[in-house]
Amino acid sequence: MATITGYTETAQGYQDNTNVAVAVAPKHPNPPAKTVDTQSVLKRLQSELMALMMSGESGISAFPEEDNIFCWKGTIAGSKDTVFEGTEYKMSLSFPNDYPFKAPKVKFETGCFHPNVDVYGNICLDILQDKWSSAYDVRTILLSIQSLLGEPNISSPLNTQAAQLWSNQEEYRKMVEKLYKPPTAA
Amino acid sequence: MTTEGPSSSSSCNLAILDSLTDDSIRQIHDSYTGFCATTATLLTGAGDLSVGPEFIAHVHSLCHHGLHSLVRDHFLKSLEEIFEQNGASKFWRHFDAYTKFALLSKNQPPICESEVQEVLCKALEEISLEKQYQEKCLLMLSHALQSYKDQMSEGRHPSDAERSHLFSRYQLLVSSVLMASLPRHFPEILHWYFKGRLEELSTIMGGEFDDDESQDKDEMDLDEKSKISYRTGEMDIDECSHQGRFLENNKLVKNIGKVVRDLRSLGFTSMTEDAYSSAIFLLLKAKVHDLAGDDYRSSVLESIKGWIQAVPLQFFRALLAYLGDSVSYDSPSSGLKSPLASHPSSCYPGIDTPSQGLVRWQLRLEYFAYETLQDLRIAKLFEIIVDYPDSSPAIEDLKQCLEYTGQHSKLVESFISALQYRLLTAGASTNDILHQYVSTIKALRTIDPAGVFLEAVGEPIRDYLRGRKDTIKCIVTMLTDGTGGNPNVSGNAGDSLLEELNRDEESQENTGVDDDFITDDKQAWINAACWEPDPVEADPSKGSRNRRKVDILGMIVGIIGSKDQLVNEYRVMLAEKLLNKFDYDIDSEIRTLELLKIHFGESSMQKCEIMLNDLIDSKRTNSNIKATIAQTPLTGAEPGESAVSMDILDATIISSNFWPPIQDENLNVPEPVDNLLSDYAKRFNEIKTPRKLLWKKNLGTVKLELQFEDRAVQFTVAPVHAAIIMQFQDQTSWTSKNLAAAIGLPVDVLNRRINFWISKGILAESLGADSNDNVFTLMEGMVETNKNGGNSGSCEEILVGDDEGERSVASVEDQIRKEMTIYEKFIMGMLTNFGNMALDRIHNTLKMFCVADPPYDKSLQQLQSFLSGLVSEEKLELRDGMYFMKK
Repeated sequence: MATITGYTETAQGYQDNTNVAVAVAPKHPNPPAKTVDTQSVLKRLQSELMALMMSGESGISAFPEEDNIFCWKGTIAGSKDTVFEGTEYKMSLSFPNDYPFKAPKVKFETGCFHPNVDVYGNICLDILQDKWSSAYDVRTILLSIQSLLGEPNISSPLNTQAAQLWSNQEEYRKMVEKLYKPPTAA
Repeated sequence: MTTEGPSSSSSCNLAILDSLTDDSIRQIHDSYTGFCATTATLLTGAGDLSVGPEFIAHVHSLCHHGLHSLVRDHFLKSLEEIFEQNGASKFWRHFDAYTKFALLSKNQPPICESEVQEVLCKALEEISLEKQYQEKCLLMLSHALQSYKDQMSEGRHPSDAERSHLFSRYQLLVSSVLMASLPRHFPEILHWYFKGRLEELSTIMGGEFDDDESQDKDEMDLDEKSKISYRTGEMDIDECSHQGRFLENNKLVKNIGKVVRDLRSLGFTSMTEDAYSSAIFLLLKAKVHDLAGDDYRSSVLESIKGWIQAVPLQFFRALLAYLGDSVSYDSPSSGLKSPLASHPSSCYPGIDTPSQGLVRWQLRLEYFAYETLQDLRIAKLFEIIVDYPDSSPAIEDLKQCLEYTGQHSKLVESFISALQYRLLTAGASTNDILHQYVSTIKALRTIDPAGVFLEAVGEPIRDYLRGRKDTIKCIVTMLTDGTGGNPNVSGNAGDSLLEELNRDEESQENTGVDDDFITDDKQAWINAACWEPDPVEADPSKGSRNRRKVDILGMIVGIIGSKDQLVNEYRVMLAEKLLNKFDYDIDSEIRTLELLKIHFGESSMQKCEIMLNDLIDSKRTNSNIKATIAQTPLTGAEPGESAVSMDILDATIISSNFWPPIQDENLNVPEPVDNLLSDYAKRFNEIKTPRKLLWKKNLGTVKLELQFEDRAVQFTVAPVHAAIIMQFQDQTSWTSKNLAAAIGLPVDVLNRRINFWISKGILAESLGADSNDNVFTLMEGMVETNKNGGNSGSCEEILVGDDEGERSVASVEDQIRKEMTIYEKFIMGMLTNFGNMALDRIHNTLKMFCVADPPYDKSLQQLQSFLSGLVSEEKLELRDGMYFMKK
């Protein structure tokens, strides 16, 4: 019932955009907006996937889980010439329903010894919180995280031990190697 | 001796023993010695029956004392001994000379065949005489016993009982003696005897059979009397005509008959029958092979039947007539009842109705003939199908045979193995396989209209063809022109699938395009009425389609799996064809398309239709544009600068969305032509205002003439070749780098393309200063032409052969490969993140997420083969059914 009325009203909306939209807004604030959004979110995620696949970016990758395009698994390889070289980290990305207006939740699935990553895999990265913009996409998120690995923000650490050790790159490398557990095939 | 009598007699009781007096004992003794003596004289004395009365008296006297059984037993025992000495051993001695036959192989005919005959006849005669004599003696005994009995009981007993009892015992005795001493090679000898005789008979009859066959048929029609209603109608052949002929062979048959009778009377009934039936079957087999041979262009079934009628059946008829009722069928040795033996009562000569025995023989022989012919044909089925339209009589024969024998599975098995051995090999071209497949469909359709066996036979072919890359291409070529795309193969009219398209047109009309949809009730009723159950041999697992129509096109399309692929390939081919056309004549293409539309449906051929419409529109637009030149001579382009006029240009304007992807290749065409093209485009824009022309300069064909000092040569070439040669108009020598830059081609492409002119002897290649930078020079004198071609250049007009990679349209494989590279990236992406995945998970994931531009529409099999390609490229790894990224 609700969807039917919603539909006719949208149809009217095409005829007379401004007036009807204002009139309708208080009555049905959410449902029509939400369905339209889900569609566009799907489209957006699909095109992001396509772009990511075709970009052929090495070192980063992500793919939706089997039945849910809102949950992705990602993979980030440590960049060359950093202490993380030769390691590989699994990520999980979960997109909110109003993506891209809100940032996805991104976590490390593989343990990562890093000043801005806590033991649960949470990441402290500005673009994933207050600096998020809908112009970012999966590819840029993954690239940012990849560069974060090599250039941590020591001033606001989640892992203080790592932050303190960062100055000693040789020791840090040993620590990374010691703690690194290569992701097992999921 | 005295005690032996009473004790061995079961019929006397002990009371008699008491009543025995010395007198009677003496009497018995006397009588017994007398009896023994007379018996001996009687049996050994050749034909001397003078002791008869004395013998009878002794028998009577012994019987008087109740010693019947003693008399009988002793007599038979003596008979046996004497028969063993005189009869059996003598009889076998005749054949001692042939012991080695048994050692020889059966196939080797004995050199002394006639001798065997003689010996057999003589031996049989002798033993029969002996037996007759013994029977006479036996008869005497039986009379004696009988007369005694008659005296006692005054003729109340049925007289036959005693005699038949005696005779059956005798018969048993004779045959057991013979059997016990039977030499191993005797059946062999019998076999050779009958074989020899039957061959003799068959040559006599066979010659006449050929002469009289037609005559027979006439007589059959004329002589109404003989038209007794016998079911198969094959026995109607006028007896008289054969009888007449038979007089000539009477002697022969009589001889055989006599031998058979003698043998039977000796208890060799079943052995004899075995011998002559195996001889007949051998003969029949030889005849079938002889008649059928390797010629498939004529039907042989009728003549085989005729021969059965004329030779073996006549032989049986005569034999039965001769034997008549003289055979003792109760002979205990005939344990195995043969068709002949089981119906003795009807074997009377002179009766028109064929005896049941004869009918049985006929059925047996015909079945054997059918089976032999069927085996022969099945073994050669592959060859038969190779020359299919010519060999249809053989197919027809085979069909009849199979209806009779029902051994379809034999056909399927043998044919499949022949196919696998001879056709489905790497050496056979796809075209040949397809042609053979079509012939197979056509041929088997005759044998089995329901298509059940065809399905089984077609399966391996289809599977194999699916594995070939050029299958679709070949099918499409076969569909569009009858030659199957190979000009070397003379396109047999029967092979053309185009013809099949035509034929289907009619049948499709009443069923409609959609096969399973029956439009009106009447049609449904008709379909229901002509329903036939599947043959019993049908594989139930395949499921019975209620209306299994053997439709060649359907089966061909079935190879590919979906008509979409076929249509796609056809589109590519059509595009290629249309783009290389000089005139706008597309009548034949329209016709083919219409036919294809009927078969595949309007919607799937829509794009092709638009392509054809493009051509029609182009023709119109082209003439319109040229008309504008006539009205307003040259608005934009400068006149006189070049002599190139618009008249020489024909454009094909395509709606590129509906055409297959077109290969784009940059090409700088010579300036006059370029001006012409832009002028044309301008005019087009004026006529069809919002639209603009985008030239695909590398497509199309160019007719050009090269004028040399001494000659002019005409060519029809691709634009790129024309562009190359044009550069030599002003400058006769180019380095490859400069030339490539002038034309706008990469150097390697140029080097490939320029080979055309080098091979024609127009240009020559020589090493330049730089090893990568060769110099091409125009050969003005054209001296070299002869070296290359041999044929004089002036009258040469060549359409450029489409080398690989020189096609204007991306082939279907290229398209698929392009699509697959997208999937490859997706697959890499998911494997990076999920580690390992099974085939169907990859398949499902692709289906779910690869929805963009070309949506993922491949089958699981296609994906699998693609993945195994990636595995062999060492990009992936397959372990336990899971795919991994190769690290």
